[in-house]
Amino acid sequence: MSLPTRARPPAPTAGGAPRERGRPRRVAADLAMGVRFALTGGREGWTRAVLTAVGVGLGVALLLLTTAIPNALEVRHEREAARTDITFSDERLAKADDTLMVAGVDTDFRGESVRGRALEPEGPRAPLPPGVERFPAKGEMVVSPALKKLLESDSGALLRERLPDRVVGTIGEEGLIGSAELAFYRGAEGLAPHMDGGRVVRIDGYGNPNATSERSDPVLLLLILVVFVVLLMPVAVFIAAAVRFGGERRDRRLAALRLVGSDSGMTRRIAAGEALAGAALGLVFGAGFFMIGRQLAGTAEVYRISVFPSYLNPSPLLALLVAVAVPTAAVLVTLFALRGVVIEPLGVVRAGRPPRRRLWWRLLLPLAGLAMLYPMIGDGRDNGDFNQYLVTGGVVLLLVGVTALLPWIVEAVVARLGAGGVAWQLAVRRLQLSSGTAARMVNGIAVAVAGAIALQMLFAGVEDDYTQPTGQDVSLAQMEVILPDGVPVTRAADKLRDTEGVQEVYGYSEGYLGDRAREPEHGTTLTVGDCASLREIADLPSCADGDAFAVHGAEWDAGEDMTNLAAPGRKLYLDPSYEGSPKRLEVPWTVPQGVKAAKPRRGLLAGIDRGGFLITPKAMPETLVPALAGHAYLRLDESVPDVHDRVRNTAAAVDPLAAALTWAETKRTGRFDAIRTGLFVGAACVLALIGASLLVSQLEQLRERKKLLSALVAFGTRRRTLSMSVLWQTAIPIVLGLLLASAVGLTLGTVLLKMTNTPVRVDWTGVLSMTGIGAAVVLVVTLLSLPPLLRLMRPEGLRTE
Amino acid sequence: MTPPAGSLLSAEQLRKAYGPTLALDGAEFSIHPGEVVAVMGPSGSGKSTLLHCLAGIVPPDSGTITYNGRELSAMNDSQRSALRRSEFGFVFQFGQLVPELTCVENVALPLRLNGTSRSEAERAALTWMERLEVDDLKKKRPGEVSGGQGQRVAVARSLVTSPRVLFADEPTGALDSLNGERVMELLTDAARSTNAAVVLVTHEARVAAYSDREIVVRDGRSRDMERVV
Repeated sequence: MSLPTRARPPAPTAGGAPRERGRPRRVAADLAMGVRFALTGGREGWTRAVLTAVGVGLGVALLLLTTAIPNALEVRHEREAARTDITFSDERLAKADDTLMVAGVDTDFRGESVRGRALEPEGPRAPLPPGVERFPAKGEMVVSPALKKLLESDSGALLRERLPDRVVGTIGEEGLIGSAELAFYRGAEGLAPHMDGGRVVRIDGYGNPNATSERSDPVLLLLILVVFVVLLMPVAVFIAAAVRFGGERRDRRLAALRLVGSDSGMTRRIAAGEALAGAALGLVFGAGFFMIGRQLAGTAEVYRISVFPSYLNPSPLLALLVAVAVPTAAVLVTLFALRGVVIEPLGVVRAGRPPRRRLWWRLLLPLAGLAMLYPMIGDGRDNGDFNQYLVTGGVVLLLVGVTALLPWIVEAVVARLGAGGVAWQLAVRRLQLSSGTAARMVNGIAVAVAGAIALQMLFAGVEDDYTQPTGQDVSLAQMEVILPDGVPVTRAADKLRDTEGVQEVYGYSEGYLGDRAREPEHGTTLTVGDCASLREIADLPSCADGDAFAVHGAEWDAGEDMTNLAAPGRKLYLDPSYEGSPKRLEVPWTVPQGVKAAKPRRGLLAGIDRGGFLITPKAMPETLVPALAGHAYLRLDESVPDVHDRVRNTAAAVDPLAAALTWAETKRTGRFDAIRTGLFVGAACVLALIGASLLVSQLEQLRERKKLLSALVAFGTRRRTLSMSVLWQTAIPIVLGLLLASAVGLTLGTVLLKMTNTPVRVDWTGVLSMTGIGAAVVLVVTLLSLPPLLRLMRPEGLRTE
Repeated sequence: MTPPAGSLLSAEQLRKAYGPTLALDGAEFSIHPGEVVAVMGPSGSGKSTLLHCLAGIVPPDSGTITYNGRELSAMNDSQRSALRRSEFGFVFQFGQLVPELTCVENVALPLRLNGTSRSEAERAALTWMERLEVDDLKKKRPGEVSGGQGQRVAVARSLVTSPRVLFADEPTGALDSLNGERVMELLTDAARSTNAAVVLVTHEARVAAYSDREIVVRDGRSRDMERVV
């Protein structure tokens, strides 16, 4: 009998791994093992994987959403253009079987704009507006889904009074620029006589065939670029933090692997595999969050901007970039984090005192950023063709500088912090031992705050350029109602006076007088009103119904010789015609014999003193009425609820084409407001995201210390002491982070203002509010982490079974 | 029932369950000042739960615990915490030293929690560290010292408030025999010199040999063992 022969095991090789396995296969095997570790390991492992995936996923979703924004704006722009009903030529179309009369009947309801059009098809081939299947008849209207909902709700009752037409359909998506847009098309009759080439037009098609893209204002472009960078930077910081969730436990796991024979290269590859798995899972989660967010976006309206889900399609190239960049960044961040860690077979060794952080290369980043922005200083808005790459690069480097400088500052400051109470001591010692974790936690907030401060400064600095005074004096009147031609202003004024909340109404009928019926050489305005109304706009010697006045020396008529025009008996023409334009009414009017001289007075009308002729109703021949447009100026008791909407209802009842405008001292460019709105929406999303990330990493750190916390409580440490130490531990880095953010934000803001040639002015309210919001996020996170902290301090933490 | 005459800490008919698992099922216990009692038993028998109940860390589901004539179940959480701070000391097997604090700061911590000034607390801490032969480690952090040294620092911390009862849960569980014996010698000597009672949870007979009396816990019930010398 012979003993069975046993196969000899393969001889070990120098590397510890069998030689026949090629390097690529070995790397792949290590990465695969990392992936397995990330996805297995029971509840603990899954919790870690899910936390990482949720963190990365939220960041990815936000990135995808951001990459979809340009497309969404483009689609909104296209749809807006496709429904344009403005005529772009001076020539008026003749009535035909393919023409449509359109009157702009936009209104407002409780501060929301409602887009409205009255339609009157003039033939069977009249063009239908986008999203509308058939023309509504008079007394009918088709409305947007949001307006339908509003009109059907109790809160829309007041608007329902203004829009009493029967709803016969809804406007389709292609006819709207947002899911929450309030819009309607109502049927109308008899619009043609009101045609003025502005509010009431005749068209034979929608859209602008000669549309040209407007040249972007370099300052607005600069704002857009900086808004994007400022919003995306914290997301990148957040993703970097998310892939490090569970890092300490992973290091211990890697140490166990070292014990059974893996070398340091292998452990790094395994760690990379784990990060890759987390990031890949995060991409899947991110795609899911994005799809959910896309659907939710269709139901939400933020700062009066809404979109349809179909608008939010990220550009494929940018989506691909996200899909590649996120896992790559995850692996790089992990390997970078492992730099300072030596994983030994018997445990993870972090040098008792890690090497001091060096300042020089950290300073290089913001300095390089400033150097990139410097050449553009003083370019201004006229020739400010800012180089997009230099702007983006410069801002990115300055903000990355915050993330590089903050760990150094936290380390340098906490090393010098002295003694205090037990809570303070526990917090300071923890920070001294591991200030990097704390700095990482507040990096995102610091970047967001620095960017927001800079933008706030830039916005405040250039705001004046995009804000124009309207000349309206809101202390004199708060609303203005413009009546269509031929509607008697006295009747309208009476009705408006009876409206609840209206204190005073000044009514005027206005028209333009020329010295000839056609091609007048000289001209001035004719204003009709009662004595009380006329006294609001001029100093009258005396006034009775039947009087007529000529105002001399008014700014309004600068350059006109009123003495000549106001010669009693002189014949003038109301609504004269001009060459190249359709014939106007050309109503003759003779200057009355007893015309009195009046002095100009700065009053209700447009901030300048009104000139021309002022006449009382009895002095006005009936023949003038069709050529006069009525204006009523209203003084309101604004404490009466919905007073503006009550006035709008009355105006609509007087005439559906009457326009009611709320006065404001200034008006701002729409695009400026849109960019500012975009910043606030984005900043809100980013801060919420960072808050979530802070909470997750805070909880993770606390879980790591469960046993220690329980032991401290066991020997009688007050829970308040431990809670305070957690608060200090967060508060110290956040204060330092916010100080640094303020410094960088102010620097960046100053540079951006200098680039646009705008005087540098620090908007301290903005600085304080931004840092305050940042601090509030941290406070909320700390408060939210207290319940789990108290739970972790329970004595059960001492149990090992 | 009245506690045994002269006992400093006693427990009667203790019951404690964690979900469906019954950790203590009518356990009894008593200890006198200056006495060292070893609580022994296999893993999962309930000995650590008994220690946690006796120290007021975990309230039992039923039964009474009396310390120095006062019933622990009648105290609220903050009163029990105050009692642990001032009258009890603790040594655990793992995770007890705060990694961020230096060794002397760790030892001084219970005194500081009681309101003692930092310098006074650290002076007292140093005295105990000298007694436990670890005064040379005062500036080091727990991560920079060996397991045996760390455990001696923990013993110093447990004694710094001059507790009347010292609770030690597997204090040598993570140490080699030589270090374990040295820790036990120092711990019991220091406790006896201050007349502190020691509740020593262990499953090692060698460690239990340092006690005056042994109690065996099995299936949540306790039994006094006669020592055969």
